[in-house]
Amino acid sequence: MSTRSLSTRLLTSVSVLLVLFFGVAIVVLDGVYRQISDNALRTRLDQHVSILISASDEETNGRLLPGDSLREVRFANLGSGLYGQIERDDGEVMWQSASLTGTGLKMDIKLPPGKRQLRTMRLSNGSEVLAFSVGLEWEFPRRKVRNFVYTVAEDQAPYRAELRRYREQLIGGFGGLMVLLLVALAVLFRWVLKPVRRIEHEMEEIEAGRSSELNGRYPRELVGLTSNLNALLRNDRERLARYRNTLGNLAHSLKTPLAVVRSLANTPQLQEQVTRMDDIVSYQLKRAAMSGGTGLGSAPIEVKPVLEALRSTLLKVYADKQLDIQLEIDAAARFIGDQGDLMEIGGNLLDNACKWCRSKVRIVCTPFTTPGSKREGLILIVEDDGPGIAPEQRDIVLKRGARLDERVSGQGIGLSVVQEIAQLSGGGVDIDTSMWGGSKITVRLPAP
Amino acid sequence: MHVLVVEDEQALRDTLSQQLKDAGFTVDCAADGEEGLYQGKEFAFDLAVIDLGLPKLPGMEVIKKLRAAGKSFPILILTARDRWQDKVEGLQAGADDYVAKPFHFEELLARVQALLRRSGGWAQPVLRCGPISLDPRSQQVTVNDTAVELTSFEYKILEQLMLRAGEVLSKTEITESLYEQDFDRDSNTIEVFLGRLRRKLDPDNTLKPIETLRGRGYRFSLPRATA
Repeated sequence: MSTRSLSTRLLTSVSVLLVLFFGVAIVVLDGVYRQISDNALRTRLDQHVSILISASDEETNGRLLPGDSLREVRFANLGSGLYGQIERDDGEVMWQSASLTGTGLKMDIKLPPGKRQLRTMRLSNGSEVLAFSVGLEWEFPRRKVRNFVYTVAEDQAPYRAELRRYREQLIGGFGGLMVLLLVALAVLFRWVLKPVRRIEHEMEEIEAGRSSELNGRYPRELVGLTSNLNALLRNDRERLARYRNTLGNLAHSLKTPLAVVRSLANTPQLQEQVTRMDDIVSYQLKRAAMSGGTGLGSAPIEVKPVLEALRSTLLKVYADKQLDIQLEIDAAARFIGDQGDLMEIGGNLLDNACKWCRSKVRIVCTPFTTPGSKREGLILIVEDDGPGIAPEQRDIVLKRGARLDERVSGQGIGLSVVQEIAQLSGGGVDIDTSMWGGSKITVRLPAP
Repeated sequence: MHVLVVEDEQALRDTLSQQLKDAGFTVDCAADGEEGLYQGKEFAFDLAVIDLGLPKLPGMEVIKKLRAAGKSFPILILTARDRWQDKVEGLQAGADDYVAKPFHFEELLARVQALLRRSGGWAQPVLRCGPISLDPRSQQVTVNDTAVELTSFEYKILEQLMLRAGEVLSKTEITESLYEQDFDRDSNTIEVFLGRLRRKLDPDNTLKPIETLRGRGYRFSLPRATA
């Protein structure tokens, strides 16, 4: 029904963007770092080989050995991770570093002078080493020339560990940054969207009838929306009031001449025509004056004072009957809609009851909830101890307004007006027999 | 009984006032709210019939102002706007009953009579004091169940006295309820009518229903019957 909220949309899209951005950044930075450290490793191996070469001393029989000038202690220490070997072109190994002992590493290789080669190899314990071999030509005294291969290998484990540490730091740092950014953005969105949430809240207040318009101060972008909305709500209320006033004037200007005609009419036929005209005018004007609206922007009307006002009015009007009108109104009962409509419903029902009862009238009003609606509807029951309405008459009584030709003795247009108002709000009217044997009218008014 | 009719539509005002006169009332009319308020405040009336839709000053305001000025006579609203909101507001403003236009004169008359009766503190339609009873609906007066023939003026004075049985009515009050405003009054005629009335109701001079209180007025002194 409704699309996802604005802040959810913003947060999801920003999170996706952030993950993408940081993902790419991590991959790129990782690649660059690897390349740099690979190069550094190679340079170091190259340096080790150069040191080894420059430290080489000639021996007899065309042999080469690293002399005392070789100061690199890692060659001497077992398990130092740095290994070296000098091999002659006939396959005879001139020198192997002490660190190589027991590692099971075979670094033999045939390589012509001037060539270099980089290999990845494994120690017998499985750890990986990077081996760098350089072929070179050595000229001994008496122009005797022999070829040698110098190889230096270095354990990759520290390098890998460093790389792993770097990655951890990279991902950890960026991840933390991302979370921080998301939190900051969420807070920021909340702040930016605050006016929108306020509109939402105020609309709920208006819907619930606790407020009649949007009151808050809104940012420039929203002022157009909110002021137009307020104008619309106000306009709606004013229009109804103006319309009712016009209808009232119309009623006055139609009924006064009718009253003159009635006072002059001297035959029953003429009197009957006046009655018919009066009924039609009354019914149509009342129908036109019904609000039937949602009551948006008007406060829910407390039912009790309205019915109490009607009760005291009717007690005055029917003073001679010495009526006993019982009101049983739930204090929480609220009518959501127009006060005039509530007056019409209550007034017509009570007037009929007072007219027909012997002495007792009882009004019960209770709220009821409809599933799916935030607001409560109303059930209004009016009972009397009069003659009641015969079952076969009930339908006709309710449709009296619509079919004014039907002559139903005694019942005015009141009930059909009530029925019309109830139907406008999606409810209805039921006629039954009261506990005293008189009529019992039940009006259902669901919340709009 | 002196009735004020405030109605702007001349045809209706004329018919209504004629019908009320025919029914035995003394009637004065006003054509707008301001005039109605002026008359209602300045002169003594027993009842007012006020239309709600009046020019110059709305009927609702006239009622509120009359009540604010301490006028307590019953007020019957005539209204074309038959929305309940208007009826309730009218009665809350101080009116006592309403009649919706277009009305049957018989209905209006019944309401007027009921209001007058109630304003005199009578709950039942027939006024009974001792052996004398008076029915405003038929204008019948009986003493010990024997009908008594009264002239129009005699009846009006008796109705006035019996409606407020037990209260003292000044000569002016009685005169004002009998004559329209511009009538040339002679209060001595009241004495004449009262004398005739006493003789007709109480030929043997045993009941003495109407007391004269020197300098104050008259009182119908027979006790009211409760049922």
